[in-house]
Amino acid sequence: MSDIIKQKIWEIIASNTSVTEAEWLQQKGVSMPGVAMPGVATPGVATPIELMTAFVAAPRFLSKKIIHTSDGEKAALNFEIPGFSVDGWSLVRLARVWLLTQLDPSDKEEYVKNIETLFDTAEMNELVALYSALPLLSYPDQWLFRATDAVRSNMGFVFDAIALHNPYPEKYFSELAWNQLVLKTIFNDKPIHLIEGLENRSNEKLAMTLSDFAHERWAAGRGVPAQVWRLTGKYLNQTLLADMQHLFDSEKEEDRKAAALACSEAPLPAAQYLLAKYTDLEKSVKSGALTWADLEH
Amino acid sequence: MCANHTEITPNPSHFEDSEEASQAPAHRDIAWNDYKDLIKGMRFFDPHIHMVSRTTDDYQAMNQAGIVALIEPAFWVGQPRTGLSTFKDYYSSLVGWERFRSSQFGIKHYCTMGLNSREANNEPLAEQVMEILPLYIYKEGVVGVGEIGFDDQTPAEEKYYRLQLELAKEAKLPVQIHTPHRDKKKGTERSMAIALEHGIDPSWVIVDHNNEETVKSVLDQGFWAAFTIYPFTKMGNERMVKVVEQYGPERIMINSAADWGISDPLAIPKTAALMKMRGIPDETIRLVTYQNAIDAFGKSGQIDVADFESGYAVDQSEKFHGNSILRGGQQPAPVKDFLVIN
Repeated sequence: MSDIIKQKIWEIIASNTSVTEAEWLQQKGVSMPGVAMPGVATPGVATPIELMTAFVAAPRFLSKKIIHTSDGEKAALNFEIPGFSVDGWSLVRLARVWLLTQLDPSDKEEYVKNIETLFDTAEMNELVALYSALPLLSYPDQWLFRATDAVRSNMGFVFDAIALHNPYPEKYFSELAWNQLVLKTIFNDKPIHLIEGLENRSNEKLAMTLSDFAHERWAAGRGVPAQVWRLTGKYLNQTLLADMQHLFDSEKEEDRKAAALACSEAPLPAAQYLLAKYTDLEKSVKSGALTWADLEH
Repeated sequence: MCANHTEITPNPSHFEDSEEASQAPAHRDIAWNDYKDLIKGMRFFDPHIHMVSRTTDDYQAMNQAGIVALIEPAFWVGQPRTGLSTFKDYYSSLVGWERFRSSQFGIKHYCTMGLNSREANNEPLAEQVMEILPLYIYKEGVVGVGEIGFDDQTPAEEKYYRLQLELAKEAKLPVQIHTPHRDKKKGTERSMAIALEHGIDPSWVIVDHNNEETVKSVLDQGFWAAFTIYPFTKMGNERMVKVVEQYGPERIMINSAADWGISDPLAIPKTAALMKMRGIPDETIRLVTYQNAIDAFGKSGQIDVADFESGYAVDQSEKFHGNSILRGGQQPAPVKDFLVIN
């Protein structure tokens, strides 16, 4: 990981902490290339256990407020690691992630063992920080089991930390694990548009599984959030086309809009033919007045 | 916890006055209806109870009896643990599932973290536990290092006791000392002497499981004196009343140390009732069954009385790691009895 990202995160921390809080973080003996706090002696290099203990103890020394980030800071983070965002994080979460970035990765065995120990001993807020930090950790393949486990776990905050606004799954999940993540997000009634890489990782299997899922929901008299059909457009086939007809027949306007958007994206001629039957919807899609963003909640 | 349960028959401890014990009703014989009016409106804080080995019925009864918060010290689970993983799981349960379960019955749950004296004697394992202990003592809601101290009073126990005193000092956390069942007087004195030797302010140390023989010295040296109301092996509550009559409420607190043995999670409310019957002033009762524990463990900076002093909100539909306390077919209280399930 680049030193630039560590520094960018430190800058956000610095602008969100009191002098005492910043000093506490520095007193943890962390090495911070290129970062100097006025009036504070240059820190030494912390041992892993010092960093790990600071990771745990952070709430005892830092306020639990939500941090503020400027547009420039946001852009800088995103430039370094596309999709990485700290919006809405608490100061403790950000500081914990930053402390993790200070662990020296040069001895792989030691580094992995330390991170694993933190996972093993973590309570919920610590898990949130650990999963949020995955895109920044060295040896990304090492964390795959943990990451897929988080998707399985049902812990609300932890699930969000891995599934939403986190670029790690897009980059490292297998198709099976990715599809599970997306389905579970839908199943948990969470907004899929907050999943990083949703478009990039769309696939036919997911589209078909979604159809099965929708049929189960419909049989139970329940609905499916309209925007999930954005995952199906490119893969429309006869089965999915029948689902589109079901949506066009729905009483909910959002369902009809979703069908129109999905059909418009489909290479299948029958889909265009179906869409043409709903003139008003076709017009708003073609003119760009209607987009998936209208269905994002 | 901490009774010596290896004996098959209940063993009146060496300090117990057997004549008195046979005459006075044991607090475990007092039924709820006998004392509920006496403690009406009182709030209790149990600073030592091992909920991991108690049932849901206990939580419900404790809540009904006015217990609003408790501290669960890390200790012995009744059989030796075989590896580091079981320690990790146990410690994690104290800040995780058990805390959640408690919240579901309207009781705020704190804990103390430590390597217990018995298991300090397994040195290879103790070494591993000490490595991860710093990752637990700093967690939110951890109000002390405990319960630590002596059991057999071996050199290994002393070594890990000293190491943990240093940890507590470093972390600025109170220390909760378990005093031994056998050779208690000497063990208590030794525990205090070592704590002082490490430069720990006695007002940061809660010495547990006191009796008539130890209390004076503990108070005289400036430590907190905690008393465990535990049938057969520790204090009876008749005796507890006398201690309070003699020493007053300053730096004295009462706990149940209820665990997997024959013990009583309602020991505090019952003792409060008994004190009330004997004419002990309400303020004294409040101090020894509630406030003193908060003052002592509150030095950790981890206790906010606003979390429980005006009641504790319960939402039994909440989940922890996707799991609810409710088992098949159970509905969150208040029970909603719908015929049609959507």
